[in-house]
Amino acid sequence: MIFLVYTQWYEAVHPITFALSKNKNMKTKQTIAVIGATGSMGSAISKSLSKGNYRVLLCSNGEEKTLTIVNEIKKSNPAADVEAVDCTVLASWEADIIIAAVPYAAEKEIAEKIKEVANQKIVVSIANPLNDTYDGLITAADTSAAEELQKLLPNSKVIKAFNTTFAADFETPVINGIQADAFIAGNDEGALQLVSELVSTAGFNPIVAGNLSVSRTLENMQLLLIQLGLKYNHNWLAGWKILHN
Amino acid sequence: MYELFFQSFNNRIALTQKEEEIIQPYLMPKKIRKKQYLLQEGDTCKFIAFVEKGALREYSVDEKGNEHIIQFALEGWTISDLYSFLTGEPSTYNIDAIEDSELILISKAAHEELLLKVPKYETYTRLQITGAYIAMQKRLTSIIGSTIEERFTNFTVLYPDIVQRVPQHMIASYMGLQPETLSRIRRKILTSK
Repeated sequence: MIFLVYTQWYEAVHPITFALSKNKNMKTKQTIAVIGATGSMGSAISKSLSKGNYRVLLCSNGEEKTLTIVNEIKKSNPAADVEAVDCTVLASWEADIIIAAVPYAAEKEIAEKIKEVANQKIVVSIANPLNDTYDGLITAADTSAAEELQKLLPNSKVIKAFNTTFAADFETPVINGIQADAFIAGNDEGALQLVSELVSTAGFNPIVAGNLSVSRTLENMQLLLIQLGLKYNHNWLAGWKILHN
Repeated sequence: MYELFFQSFNNRIALTQKEEEIIQPYLMPKKIRKKQYLLQEGDTCKFIAFVEKGALREYSVDEKGNEHIIQFALEGWTISDLYSFLTGEPSTYNIDAIEDSELILISKAAHEELLLKVPKYETYTRLQITGAYIAMQKRLTSIIGSTIEERFTNFTVLYPDIVQRVPQHMIASYMGLQPETLSRIRRKILTSK
């Protein structure tokens, strides 16, 4: 009964999110490969997603730190299905969804490695193509990190997600009592839906912003958030929230 | 990664190099480990899976929790819940891996595009489905009209690889027998030779 009231309230307050979540609860466990799992974003994403009905493969490329993160996750959640896999290609071959948690500069190298095994799969681009001084983007105005990745992986379904959230937000997706929004952009309906589920699992409110070219706006939004954070000392814990009626 | 898929395709209907290049971008390579699910009952079956390497099984689970295997798939075979795949309705079957396996998955969207784009893909699909239909008719005939001993002997002649690689209790489940009944029949067949 309480659930029903909550559901009705939720549907009234979040009509779009609710429509997305209705088809949820896929029983078949999806496998997610996190490339760059030892980075601050990669490890935050891995920790968050291991709470859901996912098998999370942390690509390590021999780094010992990956095992430390795997052990940390298993310690706090013994039921978590996580594993360190010593090869990006192997992990991506096993995966249904690949998360490229690497800086923009590394996307090309990763794309070349995984191109064949990423055929038809969802590849999440989280990168913001910032310059060295954090005051501009290095991509041209008519493109984005996500669109560039899509060019490198023409047979994959590239989705922009987790780029407007800082690593610290994953531990605190509700900031000052307000759940942060997390924007998603992409061209494939089914892929957008699956990634929305990942975003929900991580504790954020997913908002599908539009097709992949909307990534240009999303990447610039994070540039603004970083600049504001530096100016007003947000201490890397900040997020976006769309206010609406 | 796609070798066996194209080999099996070419055995049914020969493809040009160009056609292979058109088809390949639609194929999703996927590794799956032993005991992992490709499909769980209640979900929509989103793929047709071709086995490049390994072995899978498809089964339903009854109210008492007993598994009833309806199909095995080894290298070169295709496995899916066609009803769920075509209608989008939830599946009543589970598909999981009996061995570590390498698959080629074709999604509904990819399947439909390929049907339009490559006429030979439609032929390939038709040959596959008619083949599966005939096999099912034969299986039905054998269930209705043969003794258990005949059925098991036929099965071992038709699918020696499955008998070698798949655990006994799964073969019993496929034949609709208790594992003890199957071992008794095996002994009987062996001693009568």
